[in-house]
Amino acid sequence: MEPLQRVEAASKALGKLAAHSAAAGGSVETGAASRLGAEAGEKLDLVTLFRLREQIKQQLMEYNTTVHSGEESIPDQAIEEKLFEAATEDLEREMEQAKVSFQNKTLVLQRIQLMDALRTKLRHNDSDSKLILETIKHIIMLSTAILESQQQARELEEKLNEIKKRRFALKQAGEHKLLQIHTLKKKQKEELEGMEVGEMLKRICRNLQKETQMTTLIQNIFQSIIIGSKVNWAEDPVLKAIVLQLEKNVNCI
Amino acid sequence: MSLVRPFDKLPTLNSAVILLVGTDERRQQQLAEAILKEKKNFKINIHVATSLPLPAERDHVRPRIDLIAFMINMQSKHSLRNVEASLSHIDANFFLGKVCFLITGVGRMNHCSVEMNAVRKLGNLYCSPVLFCELDSEGIRAATAQRLLRMLQICAGHVPGVSALFFSSLMKSSIDE
Repeated sequence: MEPLQRVEAASKALGKLAAHSAAAGGSVETGAASRLGAEAGEKLDLVTLFRLREQIKQQLMEYNTTVHSGEESIPDQAIEEKLFEAATEDLEREMEQAKVSFQNKTLVLQRIQLMDALRTKLRHNDSDSKLILETIKHIIMLSTAILESQQQARELEEKLNEIKKRRFALKQAGEHKLLQIHTLKKKQKEELEGMEVGEMLKRICRNLQKETQMTTLIQNIFQSIIIGSKVNWAEDPVLKAIVLQLEKNVNCI
Repeated sequence: MSLVRPFDKLPTLNSAVILLVGTDERRQQQLAEAILKEKKNFKINIHVATSLPLPAERDHVRPRIDLIAFMINMQSKHSLRNVEASLSHIDANFFLGKVCFLITGVGRMNHCSVEMNAVRKLGNLYCSPVLFCELDSEGIRAATAQRLLRMLQICAGHVPGVSALFFSSLMKSSIDE
């Protein structure tokens, strides 16, 4: 440590000399040679490296903070920017509209100029103008024909639509009516079943059915007997009346 | 007039720079020697000046200054006025913990020409810690040097997780509560 102290003392003495010779109010820069451990012996071991790394990280964080604090944006600016953007959009839209209208006007103007030129040409009344007149008449005829056929097509479409509508309405009405019949029938059946005299009515129904069946059977038998006997029943009025009576369907009474 | 800015230049690896400003050159030298004697594992550069602004010609050679310590002698009003005049040549970002005031000469109260209130108000106004030390005695000089060294480490960013902004805790005194 001896030589180091000597170096330090020498540097300080130099510094003092510089201080005395410098003008008053100036600054003296004393570079202190504080290299503990000789320069050559400064080993860069892992711990030192880690320490240096932490130092650099901390310094980086300080610089980052300063930068961030310097570049913060005022919220007013953000609102102003939005206003600007909205204004620019509006202006662009208006510009587009102006362009479009200008183009339309140019087109119209050109058409007017064309018609005017045609008209002047026609007034000359030479062979060219005759041709032009012919063409114009043909064009007019074709256009009227087109208009008429378009009109007819539209009317036919209208009629078709009407028919379709009516058919659909009828279908719906039919469905509605069927639904009504269905519900009514169901109600009737439920009413019948719900009635207290249901049992008796059922028995009567069954008896009636049996009787009608027997009657129909007897009728058929009689008919077949008469027909099988190959008698001309049409001549005898009594037999005729009997046969016709047999024809009556018992179910429909 | 060149302004001293805290974040103008890049720091050098594993080194820190302290700037002592004061009219008493002898005391500055003594304090500088005491700081150099302390044990530390980073390189330290001590710059000494009597007043700011620093001359502009050496600006590109000068490294980044991490801590500025203003030395005020309570027994001379001239030192206080000198320090007040120099304070206007520092960038405002320095006052976020990279400035501190060292007050000497409080021991002999009857010889004081600067009032305590004035010094405290200065510290409050500039949001910087005020350290009282008697640089005439060895022991207090060594203690002050150690304190300054620790503050310098933190200001230079060598201590991870601690930043110079924490020095506001040094400014609160129990009497104020």
